Amino acid sequence: MTVSLRMAFSRREPAIWLAHLDMMRTFERSVRRAGIPVAYSAGYNPRPQLAFALPVGVGIATEADWLDIRLDETAEANAAQAGVWCAALNDHLPPGLAVHSASLAEDDGPSLMSRVQAAAYRLQTPGLAEAADRLNQTAADLPWIADKNSKGRQVKIDIRPLVLRWQSEATDTLLVTALAGSRRNLRPDLLLQVLCALGGLDELAAADCQVTRTRLWLDTLP
Amino acid sequence: MSDQPIQIPRHLLRQVEKPARYVGGEWNSVVKAPRSPDDGFRTRFAFCFPDVYEIGMSNVALHILYHVLNSRDDTACERAFAPWTDMETGMRCLKIPLYTLESKTPLAAFDLVGFTLQYELACTNVLNMLDLANIPLTTAGRGPADPLVIAGGPVVFNLEPMADFFDLAIIGEAEEVLGELIDLYRASCPDGRRPPDWDRQAFLARAARIEGVYVPSLYAVDYHPDGTVRRIAPRAPGVPAAVTKRVVRDMDSAAWPDKPLVPNTEIVHDRMFLELFRGCPRGCRFCQAGMIYRPMREKKAATLVGQASQTEAATGYDEVGLLSLSTSDYRELGPLTDCLLNELTPHHTNLSLPSMRLDSFTFDLMNKASRTRKSGLTFAPEAGTQRLRDVINKNITEEDLFRAMELAFQGGWNGAKLYFMLGLPTETDADVAGIAELLDKIEAIYRALPRDKRPRSLAMTVSTAVFIPKPHTPFQWCGQVDLETVQRRQQILRNHFRNRPVKYQWHDAKTSYLEAILALGDRRLGPVIQSAWQRGRTFDAWDDHFDLDVWLSCLQDAGLDPDFYARRNRAADEILPWSHIDCGVSETFLRDEYERALAGQTTPECRLACSACGAASFGGGICFDR
Repeated sequence: MTVSLRMAFSRREPAIWLAHLDMMRTFERSVRRAGIPVAYSAGYNPRPQLAFALPVGVGIATEADWLDIRLDETAEANAAQAGVWCAALNDHLPPGLAVHSASLAEDDGPSLMSRVQAAAYRLQTPGLAEAADRLNQTAADLPWIADKNSKGRQVKIDIRPLVLRWQSEATDTLLVTALAGSRRNLRPDLLLQVLCALGGLDELAAADCQVTRTRLWLDTLP
Repeated sequence: MSDQPIQIPRHLLRQVEKPARYVGGEWNSVVKAPRSPDDGFRTRFAFCFPDVYEIGMSNVALHILYHVLNSRDDTACERAFAPWTDMETGMRCLKIPLYTLESKTPLAAFDLVGFTLQYELACTNVLNMLDLANIPLTTAGRGPADPLVIAGGPVVFNLEPMADFFDLAIIGEAEEVLGELIDLYRASCPDGRRPPDWDRQAFLARAARIEGVYVPSLYAVDYHPDGTVRRIAPRAPGVPAAVTKRVVRDMDSAAWPDKPLVPNTEIVHDRMFLELFRGCPRGCRFCQAGMIYRPMREKKAATLVGQASQTEAATGYDEVGLLSLSTSDYRELGPLTDCLLNELTPHHTNLSLPSMRLDSFTFDLMNKASRTRKSGLTFAPEAGTQRLRDVINKNITEEDLFRAMELAFQGGWNGAKLYFMLGLPTETDADVAGIAELLDKIEAIYRALPRDKRPRSLAMTVSTAVFIPKPHTPFQWCGQVDLETVQRRQQILRNHFRNRPVKYQWHDAKTSYLEAILALGDRRLGPVIQSAWQRGRTFDAWDDHFDLDVWLSCLQDAGLDPDFYARRNRAADEILPWSHIDCGVSETFLRDEYERALAGQTTPECRLACSACGAASFGGGICFDR
């Protein structure tokens, strides 16, 4: 039985500008610097075995994200040691990345990624609450069609069914809970697109929007 | 100029490709407060690389000098790269000046702005970066508050085409000179702050006395009516008639970045590196690096092993690149690679062995290179016939090539990439046909191996570059061949390799033509570079950005003939535009090598016999421990 170190982590400026492959590379190197006994994949080009719960788009911050670091079979893993590794990793992460807690997880169940069900986002930009109200008033029961670039092709998708609930917190803040995961996933930029098209949100405000994923739900819907 | 940090709007970063290039935050990057507790205000140095982040961050000089400068408490070194065109457009539109990645400070607020010039075609990017930073382009146009704009790197061995744009250049290795320059600079800045009446000219006159510092504006250049140089003379007393390059004599004690920057996004050479030696003992006659970095100076294997484990721990990199002009010429390569593999393999760290010579590629080395991750093999025979290899003093034979390829096939490689040059001095179509014959024979060697002793398929790659005559080499007197000849010879190879297991790649002859013009140019090219930049030229080293016609029309407007620079054979007694720059290798030696080349005579490498090139004057390296 192999064991993984399950870490809760966050990413803020400037790390929000890393693409997913950059995140992988950056965490791999940080894990190596921290001296965590990570397991390597077999084969031609062995890589440290890291698994992210749900990669997030470039320009999006996260507050409570999950990452599994599979430990080498020879590693002596216990709760106290997990805490030591968590602290060591924190000392070796570049600015903007931090780990908050670590626990041990046995690698017998489904992958972390396949367990993700939903995510919460906080969007912040001027005029957001007003645009959300307008969208609610005028198009609550209509499809919310967004243009999505899928494998180089533009496709139109209705994102309305992906949004579970939302509420505005201040004039510039919107809290959104939406389906997430490898099957059905709301991309926050598509919601902003709809808020522009149907809610009258200013395009520049949308492009400047601060987007933070605040929570992930595993196994169950919120 | 304001030194307040720039706020880069999210909408800009969201619209550009690879925003990680523009935000900094790398592991081991150094952010210092403006004031040091002990030394007053820190001298701010912006280290600029005139190409994109991924290329600049792969440059070893950047890592070494970043470390050297930041090791000083009184100095803060930060970095800037050329923004790609999408970011540039956004920055210009939003009036965001070029800033450094560490503190996001506008470049114009720095004391020194230093460019490393690694290739001639980056020259328009230098102007574009200065312009984006609101720094006056020419030394003549800069006032007391503007940064001191300096240059280093191989291109400064003929800085003349760029002379107008730099206040000074460091000729040769900068590790030690930079410290002397900063000491001198700080002496002109009470409490570390530049006074409002700072006198650039007075500072430059003092800086010109530092060995290895070249102040272009302190030299007058006159021309003959035919356009050749009549005279290069110092304008003031105390300015040396020739500037001799600086070298670091002892590599074991040379500054080394113990905590190198680790990029967050993928760069071109995404690994840690060990510098085995500087210089090269071989003396290939086309190779500028082989001349200007003389003498060969090695690090001890013990030094390198220590640096490897330290750097690995400090970076987390999983690959070590051994760096030098000719890796297999490193004397302790066997013990070094044994030690490194013992140390690194348990951590799943790979060894990458570039720059292998064909005549010293052994079974042992091949196995070491393939122990962890099998990367491609590359060799550089450079020319297709023994006659031409003798002309360029590339002392390898076709037997060396065949032996190496047979070893590689037996070791499981299904091919290699072979580098050649087209347009070498004295080259004929027969020499180019020789490249095709070499590949035919390699194919025959492959087919002659028993099926169970060779890989299932054969996949060779041939890559040809166009020969560019470079200053300070025996071929500095040679003109480049014309475009039609190069294209005809490329066609010979294209025709031959069609339907064979050989992939043929070739460099564009037009880019190489411009590179020759700039490499061999004089000061009259300054305004040409400036007008080419004004007409939109940047990233000339990128094929899809390159436009020779604009350059030719700028040359024409300036009344200059491109072939005068690129295609003309120079007379032995001509004063070359770079003749006041002394790289340590004497003109007599270079001329002698040129004559020997034309006679087809080879010259032994430094370890076999000293050919008295002049580099012994630096008092170190192979000249003494041979």
